[in-house]
Amino acid sequence: MTAIEIESLRKSYGDVTAIADLSLSIDDGEFFGLLGPNGAGKTTTMEILTGQLSPDSGQAAVLGVDPATQPTVVRERAGILPEKESPPSFMTPREYFDFVGAIREMPEETVTERTGVWAERLGLTAKLDTLSSDLSRGQQQKVMIAGAFFHEPDVVFIDEPLANLDPIVQERVKRFLRSYRDAGNTIVVTTHDVDVAAELCSRVGIMYEGDLVADVRPAELDTDVTLLDVFLDNVDATVNQIDEPLTHE
Amino acid sequence: MSDARARRVFVEMLREEWRLHSRLFRGSHFSLFPVFICLLIGGAAKLLVVTGTEPETVFAGLHALVFVFGLHTGSIGFVGQDALRNLLGDVTLLVFSARTLPLSQNTLLGLFVIKDSVYYAVLFLLPMSLGTVLAVRGVGGPFSVAETVLLLWTTLALLFVLGMGTTIAALGLAGRGVPGLALLAVPLVAVGAALASSIDVVSYTPYGLFLAQTPLRAGTTVVSIFAVFLLGAVTFDATAPRPARTVKPTFRRWWRRIGDPVATKSLLDIHRSAGGFGKVLFSAAVLFGVTAALVDFAGQLTGVPPSTGISFGAILGLSGFTTYNWLTQSDDVDLYLSHPLSVRAVFAGKFRAFLLLGPLVGLAFYGPALAWRGGPVAEAFVGAVLLVGVACYIFGTTVYLTGLSPNEFLFDTPLFAVFGAAMVLPLVPVLTAGFAISPLSGPLLTALGGFGGVLGVVGVGLYRRSLLKWSERYQQV
Repeated sequence: MTAIEIESLRKSYGDVTAIADLSLSIDDGEFFGLLGPNGAGKTTTMEILTGQLSPDSGQAAVLGVDPATQPTVVRERAGILPEKESPPSFMTPREYFDFVGAIREMPEETVTERTGVWAERLGLTAKLDTLSSDLSRGQQQKVMIAGAFFHEPDVVFIDEPLANLDPIVQERVKRFLRSYRDAGNTIVVTTHDVDVAAELCSRVGIMYEGDLVADVRPAELDTDVTLLDVFLDNVDATVNQIDEPLTHE
Repeated sequence: MSDARARRVFVEMLREEWRLHSRLFRGSHFSLFPVFICLLIGGAAKLLVVTGTEPETVFAGLHALVFVFGLHTGSIGFVGQDALRNLLGDVTLLVFSARTLPLSQNTLLGLFVIKDSVYYAVLFLLPMSLGTVLAVRGVGGPFSVAETVLLLWTTLALLFVLGMGTTIAALGLAGRGVPGLALLAVPLVAVGAALASSIDVVSYTPYGLFLAQTPLRAGTTVVSIFAVFLLGAVTFDATAPRPARTVKPTFRRWWRRIGDPVATKSLLDIHRSAGGFGKVLFSAAVLFGVTAALVDFAGQLTGVPPSTGISFGAILGLSGFTTYNWLTQSDDVDLYLSHPLSVRAVFAGKFRAFLLLGPLVGLAFYGPALAWRGGPVAEAFVGAVLLVGVACYIFGTTVYLTGLSPNEFLFDTPLFAVFGAAMVLPLVPVLTAGFAISPLSGPLLTALGGFGGVLGVVGVGLYRRSLLKWSERYQQV
């Protein structure tokens, strides 16, 4: 079954083309990574798929629903973790989960139970009643991760999920993401961290200048080829300056 | 820090302030800001003098305004990061560079204060002084215009610096626990006792120096400024961590009563942010004070006692703008778009929060106004209808023009002009009737009440029309 279908998608901001002509299909249960340098169009793609942005042309469907025409239906069924958002400053994590539960019309008992589970899972128990503005970046990120998975969605869109997390929590989140995928759910992650994509994703689409320039399965790469090699082979030389010396000398 | 490094940091801080304001005021518009300030303050001073206010009162009011401005400016770099973040996103100021660069925090703090003093003295206080003196010239005094501008500018700048220093010293003391708070209370009690004993404390401030340039007044001004900055330098620690605030879970309880998660969050934001609901009431209290002064003034001008109900009702309805402003301070639509909420639902939540708070805030001052000034019951009823109608009208107009960003009015002159016209057109006839006609006849009262209802309907209509506009806008940007 196809979870996400994109066909000839285009989006521009004035003279700047964010997505040129993107077509892509992601199956149920895939852990798909959108990898690319800054400005490649990853976040724009994500925003279109979650109904936060309308494309100029082309089609997209998430679980068979068009996000351009039914954005709230898509967001009801999906979990979203935007890169830049943090939990509301004047709410505590517990209240934010209550807020998420209220919007998603979840029973209060379920909200209470999942609040406990997520607090335990991410080490947030002691911070549940602290105002979000007084949490560290990493703690805020934990709250946002929990918020994205709180209703146990079939599809999750996550932007740089491991940003600001300490190594122990990173490892916990990675394990959770894998187990979530193993339970048959679809995860789409955007990142510019090649190692994260290689480690987590069953399939990686490399975006560059609004186009999908490569579509690879890291596990199927030859032993002498890494995902970084594929990435560098597919981005422009002006971006790819890795051969130039950058040392303290 | 060497002189060269200090100079460099100072110049970069000035540049930072300029860029901050340029971004707030949309780039090149900001270069005209001093002219705007000169015209605005000059116009206001002229209006006050023409309508019978004594020039001394105008000067006293200007000094008070600048002192408050100084108090506020002293806080913005140190505790106002939340406010800046709401306007600009994440903001890091050079004054915090000691975290990452080998610079002394105290030196940075000193440079920050000097930078603010120079920046605001030149771009704000000088145009204010010029505008005011030009507006009230020819109304006495032994000095020429140039001398008076120079004197006024000097005393305003000194008062501004005193205000900044007072804030820094107060923040420093407040951060030192109970002993600091106790010490903070000492000057407050002393000033209170001096005032109670009829000692003219004001004479020893920069404003006193403006009134009479004596060595004693100059000395007390310099000593008071030196004292607050010394206290600030000793007690203020910009790097001190703020303790994390733990609160009781409230969302679920409020949500059960309010019934809408966005409305609940909006009200919780006001409750939890600095000042709580008190700041909403304070905004309305300012409007209440203005109305009281206007009513007195109109009564003297026309010789007719203004209608308490109509005048207070119509003007207090304008508090709807400040209330809506507070309701939208802590979020924007983007925050909600990662949840299954439509743009329409977000605005509906804001509308519900406004209905719960906006008219109530106006009525909280309208009741005391009636008790204080009295008036016929019919006028009181029609005034209440006008208050709710005007509040809904200003809400609908603001939402239609700016969505969840009423601050846009500050930065977009054409938009502000449209908003101003939309307010003036319906309110001028209402206020003319309220101020100049007494007693109000039955038919006129009926017409005014009906007009209040129409304004309310138009406001709700504008709000409804704005839903489509903002839904489309947020999908396309």
